[in-house]
Amino acid sequence: MSDKNTKDAKTHGVLYIGMDLGTSRTSVSASNGVRETVFSVVGYPKDVVSQKLLKKDVLFGKEALEKRLSLRMYKPLEKGVLKYTGEAKDTEAKANLKAAQDLIGEAIRLAKPRADELVYCVIGAPAEASVKNREAIVEAAKAHVDAVMLCSEPFSVAYGMEMLEDVLVVDIGAGTTDLCRMHGTMPEEADQIMFDVAGDAVDADLAKRIEQSCPGAQFTVQMVKDLKERWGFVGDAPEKCLVELPVDGKPTQFDLTDQIRAACSILIDPICKGITKLIATFDPEFQARLKNRVLLAGGGSMIRGLDTAIEKAMKERLGGGKVLRIEEPIYGGANGALKIAHDMPADFWEQLR
Amino acid sequence: MGGLKDSLRDAIKQLAFRTSVDRLKKQGVTQVNVLGLDRIAALIEAAVHRSLKSRLVGADRDVVADATKAEFLRLLRSNEDLQREKTETERMRERAEEELDALRRELSQQQSALKLKLERPDPAAAGRWQGEDGTIAGKVAAVVHALAQHGASSADDLRTRLTELVMDVVSDERRVAEVARKALADRDVEAMQRRIEKLTESLSMTEHKLQQLSAQRSLDTGISSIYREVQGLAPGDARAETKQGMMTAILEANLRLQKRGTA
Repeated sequence: MSDKNTKDAKTHGVLYIGMDLGTSRTSVSASNGVRETVFSVVGYPKDVVSQKLLKKDVLFGKEALEKRLSLRMYKPLEKGVLKYTGEAKDTEAKANLKAAQDLIGEAIRLAKPRADELVYCVIGAPAEASVKNREAIVEAAKAHVDAVMLCSEPFSVAYGMEMLEDVLVVDIGAGTTDLCRMHGTMPEEADQIMFDVAGDAVDADLAKRIEQSCPGAQFTVQMVKDLKERWGFVGDAPEKCLVELPVDGKPTQFDLTDQIRAACSILIDPICKGITKLIATFDPEFQARLKNRVLLAGGGSMIRGLDTAIEKAMKERLGGGKVLRIEEPIYGGANGALKIAHDMPADFWEQLR
Repeated sequence: MGGLKDSLRDAIKQLAFRTSVDRLKKQGVTQVNVLGLDRIAALIEAAVHRSLKSRLVGADRDVVADATKAEFLRLLRSNEDLQREKTETERMRERAEEELDALRRELSQQQSALKLKLERPDPAAAGRWQGEDGTIAGKVAAVVHALAQHGASSADDLRTRLTELVMDVVSDERRVAEVARKALADRDVEAMQRRIEKLTESLSMTEHKLQQLSAQRSLDTGISSIYREVQGLAPGDARAETKQGMMTAILEANLRLQKRGTA
C-alpha cells in the first residue's frame, strides 16, 4: 500500500474504516455503508487433503467454526489482547500472530475497499494492550490500508455517541469488561478500569452450572455461548429458558432459567464496584452527573435486564444512577472508530502514511 | 429520475436468477411471495429518495441524485467488465491449481524414488561379487587339484594361499569398480536432487501465482466511499476544539507507537 504508484493512483476517494477488534467478534463499519462482523477465529487446513477439499488456505469466523474438524483453529485474541507477547519464539505464538494478521486483513477486506481509494482505518484496541501487542496490530493493518491509528475501545464507543463529557462507558466484551470515565479530554490511566469478568467468564460459569444440574447433557463452549446469546438475562425471567441438549445422542429438554440467570449475574458485582470506584474518585461537583450517564456497550450489554440490575445495585451503593444501553452493541466500537477516522484532519493522516 | 427507474429495473433483472417451480418444490418450498419488478424498483427509488432527504439537508438534491445515477450506471458497466475478468481469473486459477497438483504429485514421486534408492542396498552388486567369488574359488580348486595330482606338500595350505593371492588381486579391481558404481549412483542421486529442487522451485512459483490469483479473485471493484476527499472535523461542530485536542492526543500516541515500531 505504500508503493508510490499505488498512492498516485488513489484518486477515486477516501474510504474510512472503523474496526472493533474483539476477543469474540471483530466488527467493521466503513464510509461506503458496509458493516460486517466476523467471529475472531481463524482456521488453516490441517493437511493437503483438507486444503484440496476446502479450496482455501485460510477460513474465518462462522465458516471456520463449521469446518473446524478439518482445520487447525486459532483464536488469536484472549482477554481483549493478542495472544502474542512480542517475542514470537515458539511455533504456537508465531501461529497466533499470523492468525491475528490474517484476521485483521479479512476484516478490512470485508469492508470492500476499492483499489483506487485511499483507505484510512482506526482500530479500537484495549487500553491494556502492550506496546508490542499494539505494534503487531498496526503492522498487520498496514499491509492492507494506507494509514492506521489505534485508540482505546471504550473511548471510541463514547466518541461515536458524541458523549465526550461526564460519561462512564462500560464496555462488556468477551474477554474483558472495560470501564472508562470521559471528562472532555483523552482518558488517562486513572480513568480506566479493566477486569476479566466478561462474556467468556459467563460462558464458563454457565457451563459449570449445566454440568452440575443436567446430568448426561452434552455440550460445547460454542453451544453454551449460543445459549447465553439467545436467552441471557438477569433479574426477573422474561420467559422460561427451555433448551434442548443431547443426552446419549437423544435431544432432551432442560429448563435452564435459573442457571442462565445466575451465570449472567456474575457481571453485576464487579461492574458496580468499578462504577463506584470511578465515581468516588471523580470531581465531587460532577459525580451526580456522571452516575446518571452510565453507558452500557459491547456484546455483553445485550443481556436482558442488565441495565436495570446495575441501576438497582447503584441505588444501593451510590444512592441512584441511570444506565443507558447503546443501540447497536455489536457495532458501537466500530461506529465510534469510524467517526474518529472521519474527524481526523487530513494532515494527521498524512503523517502516518 | 425516470432513467433511474429503468436502470433499476435492468439491474434487478440482471442480478436475478431463474429457477423452476419443480426445483423450488425439491427445496421444500411450497409457497412463494411475489413482488413485482416495478414495486421493487419503486421501493429502492423511494428508499434512495428518503435517504437523500434525511442525510442531505441543505444540499442540492438533484445534483446528488444525478451523481448517484452516474455512479450507478458506471457500477453496472464495471460489473460486466468485472464478470469477464472474473471468468478469466477463475480459468487461470483452475489451470494453476491443476499445475500445482501435478507438480505436487511429481515431487512426491521423485522424493519417494530417491528415498528408496538411498535406502535400498544394491543386490545386483552382491550377486555379482558372489558369482565372481565362486568362479575364483572354482578356479583355485582346479589349480589345487592339478597341483595335488602332481604331488603338492599340503593341498589345504596351498588352496588358502592361492585364494588369498587371487582375492588380493581381485579386491583392487573391486575397489575400482565400487568407486565407479558409487559415482554412478551419486550422479543418479544428484540428478534426482536437482530435479526435486527444480520441482520445489516451480511448485513454490506456482503456489505464489495461485496466491496472486486468489488475491485477484476479490478483484471486485469494491464499494465506493461516500467521500471524495479527506473530511476532518466539521468547522461548525460545537465541540470542535475539544475534539481537535482529542485527535491530537490520538495522533501523538500513534506517532510514538509507529516510530518506535520502525526504529
